[in-house]
Amino acid sequence: MSAVVASSIKQGGPVRLPKVAMGRELILAVATLLVVGVVGALNHDFLGVQNLRFILLNSVVLSLVALGQTLVIAMRGIDLSVAPLLGLAAMVCGLLAQSHGLPLGYAVLLCVAIGLVLGTLNGLLVATLKIPPIVVTLGTYSLYSGLTFLYSDGTQVDSVPPTYAAFGNGHLFDWLPLPTPVLVLLVVLALCWFLLRHTRFGRSILAVGNNDAAAYHAGLPVKWVRVRVYAISGVLACFAGLMFLCYTGSATVTAGTGDHIELQSIAVALVGGTAIAGGRGNLVGTVLGSLFLSVVLTALVFLHVPPIWYSAGEGVMILAAVQSGFGRRSAAQ
Amino acid sequence: MNASIRTASLQKAGRVDAAVVEDVSSNAVTPFNRRRLLPIGGWEAALLLLLVAVIAGFGMKVPGFLDSTSGLLALTENFLPFGLVALGLSLVIFTGGIDLSVGATASLAAVVAAQIWSAWGVNIWLASAIGVLIGGVLGAVNALVIIRLRVEPLIATLATSFIYGSMAVAIAGDSPPSGFPDAFNNLGAGAMAIGASFQLPYQILLFAGLALLFWLLVARSAFGRKLVTVGYSAEAARYSGIRVNRILVTAYVLSGAMASVAGLVLAAYYSAVRPDMGDVLLLTTITMVVLGGVSIFGGEGHLLGVILAVLLLGFLRQGMLIAGFSDMVTTMLTGAILIVSIAVKNLFDSRGLRLGTRIRALFKRSISPGHAS
Repeated sequence: MSAVVASSIKQGGPVRLPKVAMGRELILAVATLLVVGVVGALNHDFLGVQNLRFILLNSVVLSLVALGQTLVIAMRGIDLSVAPLLGLAAMVCGLLAQSHGLPLGYAVLLCVAIGLVLGTLNGLLVATLKIPPIVVTLGTYSLYSGLTFLYSDGTQVDSVPPTYAAFGNGHLFDWLPLPTPVLVLLVVLALCWFLLRHTRFGRSILAVGNNDAAAYHAGLPVKWVRVRVYAISGVLACFAGLMFLCYTGSATVTAGTGDHIELQSIAVALVGGTAIAGGRGNLVGTVLGSLFLSVVLTALVFLHVPPIWYSAGEGVMILAAVQSGFGRRSAAQ
Repeated sequence: MNASIRTASLQKAGRVDAAVVEDVSSNAVTPFNRRRLLPIGGWEAALLLLLVAVIAGFGMKVPGFLDSTSGLLALTENFLPFGLVALGLSLVIFTGGIDLSVGATASLAAVVAAQIWSAWGVNIWLASAIGVLIGGVLGAVNALVIIRLRVEPLIATLATSFIYGSMAVAIAGDSPPSGFPDAFNNLGAGAMAIGASFQLPYQILLFAGLALLFWLLVARSAFGRKLVTVGYSAEAARYSGIRVNRILVTAYVLSGAMASVAGLVLAAYYSAVRPDMGDVLLLTTITMVVLGGVSIFGGEGHLLGVILAVLLLGFLRQGMLIAGFSDMVTTMLTGAILIVSIAVKNLFDSRGLRLGTRIRALFKRSISPGHAS
């Protein structure tokens, strides 16, 4: 979708049909349905309501992180610190909820606050000190995972209040068969999509990602755009941490970092059609990519593939996705 | 070496215009325009100073850190595997690439070597050699994906790290081999006795030898010159007749091979292998390379800086652990050091805020009226 913006920025011509990006979303949707169909035919349990619900829920946490990562990559940055931020938010909210009965509403606010502060710190370091984003977020990766460790002080979250569990597993509306987290994800996706596609800020993100020098000379506040995008990524990562807490009902020191969710989020964004070289972000593709990953991993369970090959499957998927178009270096490079 | 010879060799290698030579020279591995007594720049001097300060500081404040030279040297056994990976990874980062698969490569190579030893009864040293060879092949696969499939190094090695990691788990099986012969374990935890009370760990010998080799390769060979040229501008390198792909393949192969050496040293240190034992290597190693002054964009940096950064970070970490700080606090400090050091470097860098140049300009301006009158 956002390729429209990118291409119109690049060529300055009339807005064309987003051919390539739509292609990517179509491919992912067809591939997902294909896997569901084939595995469902082999094993009918795969098509059960419970399993499909599990697949959907499983992709939500990664999707939330990857949406922020998509915005950052579209701006030609990278954010490795999402994993410890996820863990930090889950740990802080979980321990407060466990010991002091922190209401869910305050937990959401707390997550946003943590993400905003620490994400902005990432952004300020990248924007003002001119340190490459991979170096900055590698440094803050250590810092933030240290914070989690210090805060938890060796304890872990084993249970959450019922409101949390309901938020992570329940249904918001009785008439709608979609679990609450999926609805939340759709709302966040819509917000991000509107932000990237229909606001001046969104266009600035793509312009900075395309060519930051040109964006600067065109009068865009490049530094300010950078700070805001990293702040958004931080907020989404922390919110994903709260969602993780509510969904799993537990949090340990290695939540997020243990699963290498930072690498997974980058992978999913790239599979979804976001260009690593910046200037092109595909939010719908990111969510579909995350869903596809969840479907494939669950399918592997049903096909009795040993779990050790799951991450190899992820690797092959990344290469296949990158081969089919985006993420390639241009021939000139 | 002097400038004219290098320029001539570049020109001999192919067509090259003066501007390219100028650019390359200002970002070369060793300073090009100045002769120095020691092959170190300001960044390396700062690292060396910090290293001395860290050792002296811990030596005075923390009992047990500097009780004996042997004790101090024995500490290096805990971090030199990181240094081995850093040597190889530096080459890749010099070219402007990155190798995220070093951790998985280290695990996979060590696991394969251990299985060959345990399942077929092959001599452990021969098995290790095969392990290093496998590391090189895995690096070659990385390069192949990057060059032939034209995938960004970050993505390519991210994907292969997933694949290599899975292979390591699969080959390791439920009970990975352990209990290697003592001669092999010495590589990780043994020391050579020199005199009555002096112990020199074999790890230091290995690291010193390989560090010297890599330093010669990067700073004193045509290959090193080409490596940095490719990193500074692949386009310019291609036009000056450098076989860019060949350089890239060599860099990734060496990175893979060094990762597997580190994996084997870890295996010897623990006298066991685990399919996830290389995972800890990646982030710390990148920190070491970047702290060593190598630009993450390629084409800039000195291997000596990387070696100093390995020692600095390693001793700092060990000192803090001995002083009773938790592992996580030291990790946090590592992260903070990474950011602060690069920020400081950027303040003086020609690509950053150019604080050094500005200060010098300030002095010149205040002095020049006197000269003029």
